Formats: sequence, C-alpha cells, structure tokens
Amino acid sequence: MTNSIGRRAALAGMVGTAAVTQSRLAWAADPIKIGFSIPQSGGLAALGRQALLTMEIWANDVNAKGGMLGRPVQLVTYDDQSNPANVPPIYTKLLDIDKVDLIVTQGTNLTVPAMPIAMQHGKMVLTMLALAINDKFKYPRFFQTMPYGPRGKQSISEGFFDVAMGMNPKPVTVALVGADAEFAKNAVDGAREEAKKHGLKIVYDRTYPPPTVDFGPVIRGIAGTNPDIVYIGSYPVDTSGMVRAARELNFRPKLFGGGMVGTQATTLKADLGEMLNDVVSYELYCPAVADKFPEVEPILKKYQPAAKEKGIDPQGYYVPPFTYATMQILEQAVTGSGGLDQDKLAKYMHATNFKTIVGDVKFGPDGEWDHQRLLWVQFRGLKGQGMEQFTNPSAEVVLHPVEYRTGELRYPLGPGKQ
Amino acid sequence: MSNRLFSALIAALVVALWLAGRLVSNEYVFFVGYAVVQYILLATAWNLLGGYAGYINFGTAAFFALGAYIAVAINKLVDLPVPVLILAGGVAAGALGLAMGYLTLKLRGVFFSIATLAMAIVFQAVITNWSFVGGASGAYVLRPNEGPWGGSYVEYLFYLMLSMAGGAVALARIIERSRVGYGLASIRDDELASEASGVPTLRLKVLATVLSGALMGMAGAPLPFYVAYLDPPSAFNLSYAVNTIAMPLVGGTGTWLGPVIGAVLLTAVQQGAMVTISSAANLLLVGLLMVAFITLAPNGIVGLVRGLANRPSTGGNKK
Repeated sequence: MTNSIGRRAALAGMVGTAAVTQSRLAWAADPIKIGFSIPQSGGLAALGRQALLTMEIWANDVNAKGGMLGRPVQLVTYDDQSNPANVPPIYTKLLDIDKVDLIVTQGTNLTVPAMPIAMQHGKMVLTMLALAINDKFKYPRFFQTMPYGPRGKQSISEGFFDVAMGMNPKPVTVALVGADAEFAKNAVDGAREEAKKHGLKIVYDRTYPPPTVDFGPVIRGIAGTNPDIVYIGSYPVDTSGMVRAARELNFRPKLFGGGMVGTQATTLKADLGEMLNDVVSYELYCPAVADKFPEVEPILKKYQPAAKEKGIDPQGYYVPPFTYATMQILEQAVTGSGGLDQDKLAKYMHATNFKTIVGDVKFGPDGEWDHQRLLWVQFRGLKGQGMEQFTNPSAEVVLHPVEYRTGELRYPLGPGKQ
Repeated sequence: MSNRLFSALIAALVVALWLAGRLVSNEYVFFVGYAVVQYILLATAWNLLGGYAGYINFGTAAFFALGAYIAVAINKLVDLPVPVLILAGGVAAGALGLAMGYLTLKLRGVFFSIATLAMAIVFQAVITNWSFVGGASGAYVLRPNEGPWGGSYVEYLFYLMLSMAGGAVALARIIERSRVGYGLASIRDDELASEASGVPTLRLKVLATVLSGALMGMAGAPLPFYVAYLDPPSAFNLSYAVNTIAMPLVGGTGTWLGPVIGAVLLTAVQQGAMVTISSAANLLLVGLLMVAFITLAPNGIVGLVRGLANRPSTGGNKK
C-alpha cells in the first residue's frame, strides 16, 4: 500500500490491499473512491508511473481543499503490468469488491478491455492517452482527454501536413514510414489520408518490424526516392534510430518528422540532443506555451522533485499536465453534477466547457475533444546532449495550431550541429 | 483408479463447480477462476510434450495466439458460438503443431527449444502484418453482456475453459498410462535406446506436438472475448511461455497432476501479487519459484511428496 502524504493501514486486513492515497485530515464522511488499473511495470510503466504520481498530487490538492462534495478522495490502484489480459479482473475487483465510485483508465490497449466491464456496470469512463476507442463502442458515457479531436487517426498528422503545405514552393512528394505497431500504424494511416487530401505524391510507403535496430537501410531506401517531406510514425527506440540514421547519412529533406513517440520524453530528447535540430514532432505541452497555460508550472513544480526521487521523467511536460487536467475534469463533473450518479455525470460532461490547467476542454458527441489541439513543434538551437536545454522555451518552437504558434517553420532540414 | 472412473470424477467436479458457481454473485471470482483454469489447460498441454517426452517447447504463445486469432478471423466473417471457435482454434493450432513437429522434431535439446521460440517470433510477424485480424493495430471483439445460459458472459467463458481444462487433464492421465505415454517416457529417458527398441519415436513426438498445440490453441480461442481486444504484443506475451513452463516444473513434470498443482499455485500467487504487492514482483516470484524448485525439488511438488512418502522409516525397527 502506498500513500503520498501519510500512511494508513486502512486496508491492511482486506483481501488484496490497494494503493491508496489519503489525506491526514480526519473526515466525517466516507471517501469517494476513484479506481484505476495503471501500468507500473512492463512496457508502458514510464507513462503509467508519471500518471500515477500526478494523480496523487491532484488527490492531495483536492483533499487539502476539502475534498469533493465534502468527502475525501481516495485513489485505489492496481498494476496491470502493461498487459491487457490483466485489466478485466482488475476493473471487476475495483467495481465489485473495492466498490469504487468512479473509474479512470489509461492507454488504448489497456482501456479497451475495461470497456465491457464499465459498460456492464453503467460506469462513466474517463480515459487518458487513448486513441479512437469509442469509434467501436459508441458508449455515451465515454470521455477521452487527449486533444486528438473527432478525427482520431488524422490528428497525429493533420498539423504536420498543414505546416508542410505552408512551405514555398509547396512540397510535391512525401515518404511515409512507420513501425508495425498500433500507434505508429494509426499515425501513418492518417498521414496517408492527409497526403491524399493535400494532393501529395506518395513516393515511399512502407513499414518496418518493431524490433528493428538498424535504420540505415530504411533511411537509404527513403533517400533513394528523394521525397520533399518525410512523415514517420515511430516508437521511442525507432524514433532514436531514425533520427540517428538520418544524421549519419546526412539525409536532409525539406521536412523530417511526424508522429514520433519519444520526442516528448526528456531522457530521449536529452540523449538525441542536437541531432533533433529542425525535426518536427508533436507535443501536448512545452515551455514555449507556458505563458498560455500558467497553471501548469505550479503543478510541474510539485511533480518534478517527486519524479526525480522516483526515477521517472524529471521534467514531465508530456503526461502530467493532461493527467492533472483529466482529474480536474472529473472533480468539476462530480461537484457540478452534485453527486456520483453516472448518468448525470455523463450528461454534465457532454454539456460542460471545463476549465483546466491545459485550457478549456469541451467534449464532442463521441467523447473526444470537440476539436484537435496537438502542438506541432520544431526543435531548434540544441547543442550537444543534455536535458536542461529543453527547459528553454526556444528549444521547441510551436508551429501549429496557429493560436499557439511561437515561430515559423525552418526548412530544409539543416545539419545536426548548427 | 480406471481412466473411465477418473474421467467421470472430473466431469462430476466440473458439474459441481458449475452448481457452486450459480451461488456466486461476485464476477471477480470468475475472472480469477478463468485465469487459473486457463493455465491448468496450458500447463497440461505443454506437459504432453515437455513433461512426457522431455522436449522443451518455448513456442506456447504461438499456439495460444493462433487459437485466439483464428477465433477473431472467423468471428469477423460469421457469427458463430464460442465453442465452435474453440474447435476451429484447436484444429488450426493442431495443424501448426503437425507442421512444427515435422520440421523441428529432428532437432533435440536446446536446438528444438530455440526452433520453437523462433517459430513464435515468425508467427507474431505474420499476424502483425495480417490486416484482416487487425494487424499491428489490434482487433476489437465486442462480447455480449450475458452468456447463452444466463449469467454473465465471463461466467460462460469460465465454464467453457473449466470444461476444456477438465478434459485436458483427463486426456493427459489417459496418455500417461497408455502405450503412447510409456513410449514418450522412453523418449524422455533415452531416445536412441528407445528407437533401437522399436518405439516409433518420430510418430509419438509428432502426436504429442499435435495434441499439445491443439489444446493450447483451444485455450487461446476464448481470449479475444475475455479481453475484448487483441493485439500481437498481448497475444504473444512472453508470460504465457514462461508460466506454462514454470507451472509443470513447480508442480512436477511427467505426471498429469504436476501441471495442475503448479498452475493453481502459481496463478493464485500471481493473482494475489497483482492486487497486493502490485508490482513487477509478479514474474520475479515465478522466477524465484522456478529456481527454488529446480535446485531443491527438481521433480516438483509431486516428486517431493512422492519422495517423502517413499522414504524408508529411520527408527523403531532396531532389535
């Protein structure tokens, strides 16, 4: 049992203890239990542990303010080990044995297994970092808080192509490449649609197996087709491999980047350092937009020392802001609807414009944001390696959306060392 | 006890559990129960080749995932009941076992094990590129809320898995005490001598591989309905291979009872760890138990108990 403020042995005698966050305050009322399965080990642990820490910070903040509806908030969590097969029993336990009042989920493949159980119990599902889940379930009580908007797959490339088409002269050819895995494949599928929409000629369209380690042949293959722009859908290891291979082979198209997972993680960014110069990728938050979202910084101030202690992403620009915002949405829905009635909560969620640390959030009919708001950034002015330089707002220039733009696209791709 | 009586007892146990299950209103019991009986089936299936014949198969995930993906593929084409999909998964995985047997069973020891591991990797690459079953993006399977006989759908899946596990245990016991079982045991002890004595070694090994693969495929077929979503990394999860080897090792290989004991023990430990320790200690526990049993009790719990029972008495006979 873990406790971020004080430790209590409240559940010690129960069959199966849970990770519980409680305030030290003496509460007259029973806690409102928020249950979730979250990866604290396995491949998705890096994201899960950041999310859990942020949720604990949120729970402490809420309890310090008097809780929700005058009741303390208690987080009940289990580690699903990043394995979808562990998710159904965990949510069943949360709902049937732990009797949680609210549930939260994270990640596409770890949310889908929870959906039938949540739907059976009539529970509202509030999820983070998941893509286009409700396209299949069409569950009116489903809400997803990443700003992908109503056109999930395209959102991971829409801004990239909008930026590309702003070049003068406009690009004519595009190379599409991605890993044979869920997110990357969705990203490249969306990019293909975008390329067609903009009338670009696709000169390279291939995937590579996830265990690939040598990306030299992939980059050589792309370079052989001489594309104007290159869109990559990749996971952290291949993101690193692609950027390194492009730099080693001095491959410099007009625009290089895409839905590259990993360019949001401090450690990977620090490791690639100046090799990332001029690469374009997506972010959810970065120091360049700190003035637009002033409430994020105080949360990161709480997150960063604890993250260093726990050995997780020390800057936390990617997961924590939107995780905290997710919990703010939940808090506002509970207090705004005046209770825990799941139907009222869902109706309130659909009807309300939520004020969060990452700005206003309004959900569309499918439970996704009513508009897309990924930030497309270009790395600039990086020297050598190191993570401190990423705290500088000029290290990532926001190109898209227009309302958050902090600079113009620089092209073609320059040398790494600038 | 005759095989017929044993099979009848297994059937009676399944019926008794079904009746007892009618009184259970908490669905969590069925989720945990499903995991336990799924591993009884997988461990028993692995033991047919690994325990009886001594051929260590690291490719459990390939057979298991094939069963799961056959169910997904058929379910996309036509709406059939899960038992039919289970049969289809079993047939497909059995056919894979036949092919694998002919291709790899001339290899022995670690070479055979490496070949089975390679097969799982190749098969995962094939599934990842098969877009009809979702490919890399994974496939959604929307299960109904209720089973065909009332109760929840997960309860229904539990009884299906329980019946298969019971059938597999009965089959394993029949094989163990048959000419086939003795032939496989002779292969495990000394394959050359066994062949020289006229045992049709290749035929028996292929038979064991087909049966083992078919049962693993049957275990995989209900998975998409249990999880509601199937993607290659979870279908081919390493934990399936590790657990199905660990369970017979802990319980005792070469006997039908060992995998059952190992599966119940390890799954209970893992399920308990998941909701208590709540960390990666889960697989670590399995690893530690494997190391402990391999060093301290190489014949597993069954071997340990038999050893204690057969130990000659040390006192009271002095004249």
